[in-house]
Amino acid sequence: MDNQLLITYLPIAVLLGIALFLAVLLPVLSLSLGPKRPTFRKLSPYESGMTPIGEAQRRLPVKFYRIAVLFILFDVDIILLVPWAVSFRRLGLYGLAAMLVFMFIFILGDAWVWKKGVLEWD
Amino acid sequence: MEFQVPSLNLLIVLPVLIVTGWGMLLMLAEFFIPEEKKSWAPWLTMLGLVLALIQTIGLWGYNGGTFTPKGGAPMVVVDNFATFLNIIFLLTGILTVLISIHYLRRTGLDRPEYYMLLLFSVSGMMLMGMANDLILVFLALELLSIPLYILSGFAWPRPDSEESAMKYFLLGAFSSSIFVFGIALTYGSTGTTSLPLVLERISDAGMLGLVATAMLIVGFAFKVAAAPFHMWTPDVYEGAPTTVTAFMSVGAKVGGFAAMLRVFVAALPQLGEAWVPAVAGVATLTLIVGNVVAIVQPNIKRMLAYSSIAHAGYIMIAVAASVNSPDGVSAALFYMLAYLFTNLGAFAVVIALEHKQGEGVMLDDYKGLGKRRPWLALAMAYFMLSLTGVPPTGGFSGKFYVFRAAIEADLLWLAIVGVITSVISGYYYLRVVYLMYMYDGEGEVVANRALVWTVGLTALATLVLGLLPGPWFDMARDAALQTVQMVAGG
Amino acid sequence: MVEQIVFILVSLFTLITAVVVVTNRNLFHAALALMASFLGVAGLYVLLDAGFLAAAQLLVYIGAISILIIFAIMLTRRLMHALESPFNSQWGLGAFTAVVAFAVMAGVIAQFWPVTPDSVTPLASRPEVSASILRGSVAELGRALVSSDAYVIPFEIASVLLLAALIGAIVVAWPKAEDE
Repeated sequence: MDNQLLITYLPIAVLLGIALFLAVLLPVLSLSLGPKRPTFRKLSPYESGMTPIGEAQRRLPVKFYRIAVLFILFDVDIILLVPWAVSFRRLGLYGLAAMLVFMFIFILGDAWVWKKGVLEWD
Repeated sequence: MEFQVPSLNLLIVLPVLIVTGWGMLLMLAEFFIPEEKKSWAPWLTMLGLVLALIQTIGLWGYNGGTFTPKGGAPMVVVDNFATFLNIIFLLTGILTVLISIHYLRRTGLDRPEYYMLLLFSVSGMMLMGMANDLILVFLALELLSIPLYILSGFAWPRPDSEESAMKYFLLGAFSSSIFVFGIALTYGSTGTTSLPLVLERISDAGMLGLVATAMLIVGFAFKVAAAPFHMWTPDVYEGAPTTVTAFMSVGAKVGGFAAMLRVFVAALPQLGEAWVPAVAGVATLTLIVGNVVAIVQPNIKRMLAYSSIAHAGYIMIAVAASVNSPDGVSAALFYMLAYLFTNLGAFAVVIALEHKQGEGVMLDDYKGLGKRRPWLALAMAYFMLSLTGVPPTGGFSGKFYVFRAAIEADLLWLAIVGVITSVISGYYYLRVVYLMYMYDGEGEVVANRALVWTVGLTALATLVLGLLPGPWFDMARDAALQTVQMVAGG
Repeated sequence: MVEQIVFILVSLFTLITAVVVVTNRNLFHAALALMASFLGVAGLYVLLDAGFLAAAQLLVYIGAISILIIFAIMLTRRLMHALESPFNSQWGLGAFTAVVAFAVMAGVIAQFWPVTPDSVTPLASRPEVSASILRGSVAELGRALVSSDAYVIPFEIASVLLLAALIGAIVVAWPKAEDE
C-alpha cells in the first residue's frame, strides 16, 4: 500500500538489526575463537578462600520496588506531557491551564511521597 | 496567543470535584498536621462528603451536560439519574466513614491513606453514573477499583487480607481488560465512544456490535459480582477489612450498575433483543448460585458476600426489565437505595461483633446476642428480614418494584425465579435471627457511639423505605425518566 | 507486499515470544520473553502508523513495567531459579476458553473478508473521524488531550488515577511499624 511508512522507520530497523547482529556475533566469536583450558581449580567458584555459603543472589530490598513503581508513574506522566509539549504554542493558554491542573495533581503526589520519606534511601 | 474561554459548566460537576479535591486536601493536610493527631482524617473526610452531598442535592432536577466535543454529545451528564446515584454513593461514603473510625483504631489500621483512597474511590463511583462516554466509563471504573484493590489489602501482612487484595486485583484487572476490549470493538463498529452516538449507529454495527455488547456485559458482571463471574467475591469479602467489605459490597456494586444501566439503556437499547436474554440468564444463575451457596457458609462475612451476589441478581432482573418496562430503571435505583441502608446496617452490626480483626465473624458468635445486646440484635434481625424481603422493610419494597417491572417487561418467569430464591434466602438470613434469640452465648461486643448511630440511622431508613416507599419510588421514577427520555431524544 | 512480509514477521515474533512467556518453566526467562513480546507489539503499532504509541509502548512497557516485573521476581526469594510447571489442573479449561474466544473473534473478523477498497472497515467509513486523527500525529493527540471539546476530562481523571495508584503503591510497599 504505502511503503513510505516502512521507509520512515527503516533507520530504526537497521539500527535494531545491527544491534542484534553485534549482540549475537560478539559472544559467539569470543566463545568459538577464545582459547579454553579448563582445570578443576579454574572451574571452582573461587580459586582461593572459602567455598560459598548459600545463594549468591540475595532477596532485593523492597525499596527498589517502591522506586520502580514511582518510576512507572513518572514515566506515564511524562509520556502524557509529550503530545502537549509538541504543540503547546498552538494550544494556547487554555492548553497550558489544562496541563497545569494535570501537573498540579502530579506534583502534589510527588510532594506527598517526599514528605512521607519514600525517597530517602536509608 | 488568544485565550478561548472554554464552554465548561464546572458548577454541575462540583460534587465530584469536591470529593476528588478533598482527597488531595487530605494529602496536603499531612504536611501541616502532626502525625500524633491522627483523629482529624475521618472527620475531615466526613466534612467533604457532606459538602458534596449538599451540593448534589441542590442539583436535583438539573438536566444537562458539560465537556462537549465538537458535534458530539457531552461527556459528562448531570441528570436526575446521576444525581440519585451520587446521593447513594455519598451516603455510602459517609456511612463507611462512620463505621470505620473506631474499627480502624482498634485494628491498628488507622492511617490517613485509608480515607484518601476512600474519597478517590467515591469520586470514581460518582463518575460512573455521570459518564456519557465509554472512555470516561472506563476511567471511572478504574478510579473506583484501584483504591479498592489497595483497601482490601490494607490489613497486610495478614495473609487473608493480602490474598483478598491479590485476588481482587488480578480478576479485576482481567475483567477490566475484557471491558476495554468491548469498548474497542464498540469503537471499531461505530466509530465513536460517545453513548448517544453509539445509540444512533449501533443498529448497523452487525456482529461486531454484538460481540462488543457481550464483552461489556462480562466486564460489568465481574464488577457487580454476578455469576458466573462471582468467584472472587467470597474470598475478597472475607479477607478485606470489614469496613472495606461493607464499602465495596455497596459502592462497587452500585457503581457497576450505574454505568451498566447508562450504557445498556441509553446506548444499546436497540440490541435489547440480544442482551436482555443474556442479562436475564446471568440474573437467574446469579440468584441461584448466590442464594444456594450462602446457606452453607459458617462465616458471616462469607455469607454476606454470597448474599451480595444474590442481590446483584435481583438488580440484574431490573436491568433486564429496563428496556421493555418504563419502571425498570427506577426499580433498580430504588432497590439499590434500599440495599445501601440494609447492607451497610448489617455490616455495621458485624463490625460491632468483630472485637478483634478476624475474630467474632462466625455465625456462632451471634448466639445469644438477643440477650446481651437486645437493641443491636433487634436491628440485625430487622436487617436480615429486609435482606430476605419481608414486609415492612425497604428490601421488600425494592423486591416488589423489581418484580413488578419484570412482569411488565414480559419476564414473568424471571420474577418467579426471584420469588423462589427469595424464599430460599430466608433460610440463611433467618438462621442468624434464630441463633441470636434461641441460644445462649457470650462474646465481646464493641459498639461505640458512631457505630450505634449508623445502625440506628440505617434501620430507620430501611423502615421508612418499607413503610412509605411511595415518595421515594416517585423520586426514583423522576431519576429514571431522564435516561429514558435521552433514549427517545437520541 | 513488503509491508505484508514485515507484518507477518513481526506478528510471528510477537506470538512466539508470547508463547514462550506462558510455557517457560523459569519465571525470570518468561519475564525476558515478555519484554521481547512487548517489543513485537511496538512493531505492530509502527505498522499501524502509530509512531507515538510505539514510543510509549517502548518507554512504559519495556522501560518500566518489565523492570517492575523483574524487580518483583527478584524480590521474591528463590523465584529467580525455581523451575515451576506452567500448567496446573485447569489448563485444559483455560485452553478451551481461549480457543472459543479466538474462534468467535476470528468469525467476526472473517466477515470483512475479502478486504477491498469498497468494504473497508466500518471505522474508516465514518465521516467524523478526521484524517489527521487516523494519521495519529502527535500534535493532534496533544490538542485532543487538553481541549475542552475533546478529551480534557479523561486526561485530568487519568492524573487523579495515577495519584491514587501512587498512594496505593506506597501503602502496599511501606514497612509496617513492627518491621522497622
